[in-house]
Parts: sequence; C-alpha cells; structure tokens
Amino acid sequence: MALSREDLKAKILEKALTGPKAQLYVKDFYACDPESGPRDIKNAANDLVKEGKMTFWSSGSTTMYAAQGRAKDEENR
Amino acid sequence: MPKHDTPLLDELEKGPWPSFVTDLKRQAEKKPECFDILGQLELSYKDKITHWKHGGIVGVFGYGGGIVGRYSDVPDRFPGVAHFHTVRLNQPSSMFYNSAKLRDICNLWEKYGSGMTNMHGSTGDLVLLGTTTPNLEPLFYDLTHDLNQDLGGSGSNLRTPSCCLGRARCEWGCFDTQDLCHTLTMHYQDEIHRPAFPYKFKFKFSGCPNDCVAAIARSDFAVIGTWRDDIRIDQAAVKGYISGEFAANAGAHSGKDWGKFDIKAEVLDLCPTGCMWMEGDTLKIDNSECTRCMHCLNVMPRALRPGLQQGATICVGAKAPILDGAQFATMTVPFVEVKKNEDGEFAEIVEVIEKIWDWWMEVGKNRERVGETIQRIGLPTFLKVMEITPAPQHIKEPRSNPYVFWQEDEVEGGWERDVVEFRKRNAQ
Ligand code: HEM
Ligand code: HEM
Ligand code: SF4
Ligand code: SF4
Repeated sequence: MALSREDLKAKILEKALTGPKAQLYVKDFYACDPESGPRDIKNAANDLVKEGKMTFWSSGSTTMYAAQGRAKDEENR
Repeated sequence: MPKHDTPLLDELEKGPWPSFVTDLKRQAEKKPECFDILGQLELSYKDKITHWKHGGIVGVFGYGGGIVGRYSDVPDRFPGVAHFHTVRLNQPSSMFYNSAKLRDICNLWEKYGSGMTNMHGSTGDLVLLGTTTPNLEPLFYDLTHDLNQDLGGSGSNLRTPSCCLGRARCEWGCFDTQDLCHTLTMHYQDEIHRPAFPYKFKFKFSGCPNDCVAAIARSDFAVIGTWRDDIRIDQAAVKGYISGEFAANAGAHSGKDWGKFDIKAEVLDLCPTGCMWMEGDTLKIDNSECTRCMHCLNVMPRALRPGLQQGATICVGAKAPILDGAQFATMTVPFVEVKKNEDGEFAEIVEVIEKIWDWWMEVGKNRERVGETIQRIGLPTFLKVMEITPAPQHIKEPRSNPYVFWQEDEVEGGWERDVVEFRKRNAQ
C-alpha cells in the first residue's frame, strides 16, 4: 500500500537531508515509495517547500528540490 | 554607477535598425544599473563567454515558477547587475490588452525593476528583465492585488499557455482558441505555478493549420484547428479571382507586379497533394486527399473556407535542438471536437493531456521533453499508451517508423511456441 502523505513527506525529507546529492529532481524521490504515483510524490515534495523544509532551485528551464540550506545559493555563499 | 566604455557594443548602433544598445543607454539615464548591463555585455563580447550565472533559489512564496534567478559572475565590477532576476507575467489570451494595462505594467516595472522588458517571450509571457531579490515579494503583491495579473510558468512547470487570435479576429478559427487557452490555464494553475514534471511542458493553440503561434514547432502539446468535411467553395468568387475582380491573398503580395492571377500556377499546381483541378470554370477538390495545408484558402479567402465540421488535431512533442536536434510535434490525435461539457471543462482534451502526463511523469527521464521520450521509446508504444489506433498519417514514410508489430497475444502459441516443431513444417 502507498504511504500516507505524512510518511511520504518524511521519507522525501530524509533523502533530501541526508542523501549524497544536495539537489534532486522530482524523479529522484520516486524511489522513496514505489507504491506512490508520480503526482503524489510531486505534491508531497511541493508541500515540503510550502512548509519551508525544502526549497526549489531552478535554472529557469528545469527545477530541482533541496532541503532548506542545502541548495546552491548564489546570494549567501 | 559609472558609464563603461563599450566600443564593441557601440558598433551595434551604427546600422539602420533600432538598436537595443541605444535603448539601454537611454534607459540608463533613469536606471543606472543599465550601464552595468552594457558593461557586462561588452566584457562578454571580449571574453566570448556569458557572465550570467545559471539559476538560483529565488521565487515568491507558494510559487515554484515565474521568476528566473539570474546573477552576475563579476558582481564586483558590475554591482548594478549582481542580482538581475527575470519575471514572467502570464499574458492575456491572444495578448489582448489595452494601453492602460501596458502602462500599469511598465510603471510597476519602473518601480521594482530595471524598466526593461521583452514583449513577448517565446512562451508568450510579458518578460520583465532585471530586479533584485528583496523586490520580488512587493512586486508580486502589487501585481496580483493592483493589476490583477499573475506570474507565468518556468522551470519544470507547465509553461504559460498561449494561443492565436482565433475567432476573436480571424475567420479561419476552427475553434475558440482563447476559450480553450484561458480555461486550461485556470484548470492547471497548480501545474503552472509549481513544478510537476521531469522537464518543461508547453501548450499552444492555433485556430487553423496556418498555426500563427507556431504550436507545431514550439509546444509539447499543440492543438491546431482543422475540419473534417469539405472545403466550402463559392464558385462565383473563384471566377472573381480568375477575372481579377478580387486580389489574390487579399492583396498581401500586391507591392510588385506579379502579372495576372493564374489559378493553375498559383493554386492548383501548388496544392501539395495535387487534389485540385478545374472542370471548365468550376473548381473541384478531392477533399479525401486534401491535407488541410491552407494554401488555397490563403490565396482565395473569399472563395474558399474551412468546412463546417470543425475541431482540432493534436500534435505532441516539439522541442528545440538541445538533444538530437530540433523536432516538430508528431500528429497524434487526428481529430477532436473542441467543446465544453456542462461543467465548463474541455473534458476530452483534458483526458488526452493527462494520459500524456501520466506516462511521461512515469517513464520520462530527468530533463527529457516528452518528444524525446517518444523518440526514445517509440511511437508505437506511445500510441498504445494513448489508446490510439495507428493510421497512415502517423508514419513519416514507409519503413522509417513502422508501427505494425505483433504482440504476443496476437500470435498463436505466443512467444513460447515450439520452434523445432514449427520448423519441421516450415523450412527456414
Ligand atoms: C514482374 C515482376 C515483379 C513484380 C510485379 C514485383 C512486384 C513487387 C511489389 C509490388 C512489391 C512490394 C513493394 C512494397 O511493398 O514496397 C515487391 C517487393 C519485393 N520484390 Fe518484387 N516484383 C517482381 C519481381 C521480383 C523479382 C524477380 C524479385 C527477386 C529476384 C523480387 C523481389 C522482391 C523483394 C525482395 C521485395 C521486398 C522488397 C521490400 O520489402 O523492400 N521481385 N515486388
Ligand atoms: C551478410 C549479408 C547481409 C546483411 C548483413 C544484410 C543486412 C540487411 C539489413 C540490415 C537489412 C535491413 C533490414 C530492415 O531494415 O528491416 C536488409 C534488408 C534486406 N536485405 Fe539484406 N543483408 C545481407 C544479404 C542480403 C542478400 C544476399 C539479399 C538478397 C539476395 C538481401 C536482400 C535484402 C532485402 C530484399 C532486404 C529488404 C527487406 C525488407 O525491407 O523487408 N540481403 N539486409
Ligand atoms: S492560426 Fe489560423 S485561426 Fe489562428 S490567427 Fe492564424 S490564420 Fe487565424
Ligand atoms: S488546403 Fe492545401 S491540400 Fe487542401 S486543397 Fe487546398 S491546397 Fe490542396
């Protein structure tokens, strides 16, 4: 069975906080729960951004996710 | 901020054309950061490399698109462009607005940004060039509260949908492009404002095959008006063109003397499928061979009009050249009626969109446009996913992209049959 939204968010955040890659594509989170569909994963990741636990990083053409503080930040380096 | 010497850029003011260099110098009187744009660009011309850094984390709260972070990699020399973010505003459908609205937008941008704009970007957005991070939230507040405008899409979002003038001004519109564009923009607000996909995804809507928004070349999902029945012919008007009473192409090429209108040379012989001929002074069209290219209608608009069973063709997967070269969208759904249901939704089109998304979100690679996914996995699989029966129009030419493959359940004994037994009866 697919994880609940809260459990899914916890797994995504864990991967973003502790994984080797600081910035991840939404697809990189699919493995957090193979039972959840791509839309559920993207909604959970976007929720985490709304809650301030993750941020978007965008080149303008692609968007990636990172745990708060782990994204490449051009202003505060 | 001081003025910089820009001998290379100054060359660009010497031609007979309007020059962005002149525009920037003029704007710099009001907004001195524009001197730094010129300075940095001059340096790029010398170094032959861009001095803009790619991307960043900036945005407005709750949105994951619409603002593109841009930073100078030489901020010490050009502090005016240390941050120089781009803002995309969702344009109204068909870019219909009055001059008061444009003035409001320009005033807002003089207040919070460099005052420089690009109208319009290739997604159709009104593009506002150059502001700083602290200005983003106040700009967004004024934009949404005072101007009743919203940001457009960027990044891995659904990009700002765009459409041609369509039925608002054009007699060839085979569906209401503005209605479809606006309705889908409202339907997919979440996808426009927050990333949802492996990469960008663009919708564009053209009312007829003239395709004035270049949907087939620029969008992942192109909806292009067409008709199923016969081209309507007004034979009296055909005679009027032949006799010179009406100007061909509505007079569009009248600057030069092309001689008398020649229906054979200018229409019949240019029909790409050769499906038109004259019987005496009556024009005939074999509509079953017509590929809806619009040529004859464009030449003789008064005589020829689209049929009455109107709708659209959906093409999927155009993209720019980053991987494997540029490609046009592939004809996928030959015909759909473009109509709203009782809930005010274009349900049939939404269904097609979501079938594509569900598949692409699952199998598309990171940074892979849907057209590349189709190319990698194959059109036969894509058509199967879309539950579309292949038609001859789905192939480019015989044997270049064949779509007829046997499936295991269509073969007696499946893939597991006894080959040795089979070969006893059928020599190799
Ligand atoms: C009057 C004599 C012939 C006629 C009318 C004829 C007609 C045809 C036709 C209509 C096709 C199908 C083409 C297509 O679907 O693209 C074909 C294919 C073929 N023919 Fe013939 N053919 C003749 C003689 C021959 C001979 C003498 C050979 C071999 C020595 C030959 C070998 C082939 C082959 C190998 C194909 C398959 C080509 C392909 O699939 O690309 N044919 N022929
Ligand atoms: C080592 C020798 C050969 C090799 C490596 C070879 C290779 C190929 C390849 C790769 C194709 C394309 C298949 C496709 O696109 O589906 C092909 C097609 C074909 N070959 Fe050969 N071939 C050889 C010898 C021959 C010989 C000796 C003949 C005739 C006497 C022949 C007749 C054909 C024909 C008629 C086709 C077209 C089949 C079709 O399009 O349906 N080939 N061959
Ligand atoms: S695409 Fe067709 S309908 Fe739309 S404005 Fe152009 S000619 Fe008219
Ligand atoms: S629309 Fe194009 S293909 Fe059709 S009859 Fe006219 S010229 Fe021929």
